[in-house]
Amino acid sequence: MRLRFGHAACVAVLLAATAALAQSKPVAGEVAEGSLKGKTLTLVSYGGIYQDGQAAALKEFVDKSGVKLLNDGPTEIAKLQAQVESGNVTWDVVDTDDLPPYVYCGKLFQKLDLTKLDVSKIPEGQVGECSVPAMNYGVVLMYNTEKYKDNPPKSWADFFDTQKFPGVRGIDGSGSPTGGLLEQAFKVAGGDPKAMTVADIDKAIDVVRKLGPDTIFWKTGAESQQLAESGEADMLMMWTGRAMTAVKNGAKYTPAWQDWLVVMDQMTIPVGVKDTDASYALLNAYLGKHAQEILAEQTSYTPINSDAQPKVDASVSAFLTNSPERQKQGYKQNFKFWVPNFAVAQEKWSALMSGN
Amino acid sequence: MSASEPTIPAAERRRAWRPFALALPALVLLLAVIGYPLLTIVVRSLSEPQWGLQNYVWFFSVPINLAVLQRTFVISAWVTLVCVVCAYPYAYLMTAVGPRVRLLLLLCVLIPFWVSGVVRTLSWVILLQDSGVINSILRSLGFGGVRLIRTQTGVVIGMAQVLLPFMILPLYSVMKGIDLKLVQAARSLGARPSRAFLTVYLPLSLPGVYAGAVIVFILALGFYITPALLGGPRSTMLSTLVQTQVLSLLQWGRGGAMGVVLLVTTFVLLALAAPVMRSRHRQAGRP
Repeated sequence: MRLRFGHAACVAVLLAATAALAQSKPVAGEVAEGSLKGKTLTLVSYGGIYQDGQAAALKEFVDKSGVKLLNDGPTEIAKLQAQVESGNVTWDVVDTDDLPPYVYCGKLFQKLDLTKLDVSKIPEGQVGECSVPAMNYGVVLMYNTEKYKDNPPKSWADFFDTQKFPGVRGIDGSGSPTGGLLEQAFKVAGGDPKAMTVADIDKAIDVVRKLGPDTIFWKTGAESQQLAESGEADMLMMWTGRAMTAVKNGAKYTPAWQDWLVVMDQMTIPVGVKDTDASYALLNAYLGKHAQEILAEQTSYTPINSDAQPKVDASVSAFLTNSPERQKQGYKQNFKFWVPNFAVAQEKWSALMSGN
Repeated sequence: MSASEPTIPAAERRRAWRPFALALPALVLLLAVIGYPLLTIVVRSLSEPQWGLQNYVWFFSVPINLAVLQRTFVISAWVTLVCVVCAYPYAYLMTAVGPRVRLLLLLCVLIPFWVSGVVRTLSWVILLQDSGVINSILRSLGFGGVRLIRTQTGVVIGMAQVLLPFMILPLYSVMKGIDLKLVQAARSLGARPSRAFLTVYLPLSLPGVYAGAVIVFILALGFYITPALLGGPRSTMLSTLVQTQVLSLLQWGRGGAMGVVLLVTTFVLLALAAPVMRSRHRQAGRP
């Protein structure tokens, strides 16, 4: 009896210690039972199956914490700016593109307190001052296998070489420039992306411009997919998710993985949210292994928890970017250059997009 | 009538404001949802980042802005022209047929009008694309394919279809009021059909053409979705540039300035067109 009591006490002390530890040191994917009862959080993202997947990934968090989760979107930085300026921020956690959290860090997005998040399982180099990754994906060069047969393009250099590889190119014209693509173009112009200057942006854009008037600038992911499925473009710069769906739907395209461009969505907490700790709790749950597995299974995006083992079929796993081989082939854009030069690059890119 | 004017009783005169009271909800709504935001746009275009004209100086110093502004007006003018050419015979047909067929014709105009613009534009993508319906038909008939999508032609076709009701309806409402006996009278006085049309019917229908043309032209200037989806870089319109400035670069001032420039240029053009339209109106109204 006494022995048993001692045993139980021991366990109790251990449990209490773990609980205390858990409180001081968060574990990704975990949240205390009923801790957010009566509270409401609004997650803002890009809608579609992506946001549905995020909601599914957070279901466990919602059930356990008792929080009421609202979904809103699509993410627009201008709307967020209006909220922050008017002091009425209704977006508690915001999923954004690659660059905004770096460009507006501290202005629109809070500098993150990493004692409130467990970032130990996030791939190296992806935690920003104001953001954690929401998922990983890639921008990949897809080519028409029937057109190029035995002599397929192997790199972005081939993509920009219309002499050796004639054919229509399709490029992401959905809005913002893709830093990685401009760096690859700059390489073609004979430059070194690591030593890029503002004046070099023009040189890079010129390489894109030289692709000629047949070049298609697709406006939406759906359009890029449609271009592959109808075979209207011979080489396409595509998001991996769309590339996968196009191939699934029968497009005769295959990726050239060398120097695929590493891109990600970011998770952020806006400046001026009503309950910062609740936002942190959501982020921490989102980073969990199980949540990331659900996200990957539902959306086919690459999870950002390195322990995650999503169960996906071969057509999906062919386009996941977290295998060691893909990680070796990936090309990371020069963040340090693009963040301060985002506005200049955007203006020049917009001019190209407007027919200049 | 004019003789009785001074004798309007005072009580009736006092009641004269009543129609304005009825218009009050609309006025309040207009001021709240158009007036106030418009004022904000003007103020922000002059005050961000500092007070001054810097956003306007920027607009007129960047060549691409001017090129796109000009292109916006050119595309809108083409759309207006296509709409007039397509709508005129259609509206005439509506006045010439019986009530049943007229209803059918009206439905043909209105049903696409009830479908969302995005859906209609996407159907145009399917029709116009290189491997699309139009090109497959052309190829199966032995003609070469034509590039329609991502060209200015494609944008004009898509926009004209969306805007056609705004041309047909004002035209029809004017045409149905034209007394066809006037045309018959011209014929009986020896005018050939073309002459009777040109000197009698056409001038009487011009108010409808002008009304429709102004509506279509102004609506076309602000188009966003259709040129974005059907056009390529060489058919980008000003709204796309505004979107980039505001949503991507958070340059509300510059975006505002672009909007104001478009608005003012439109007003100037309308002011220039107004005297022509007024004199034509008078001519048309003359017995």
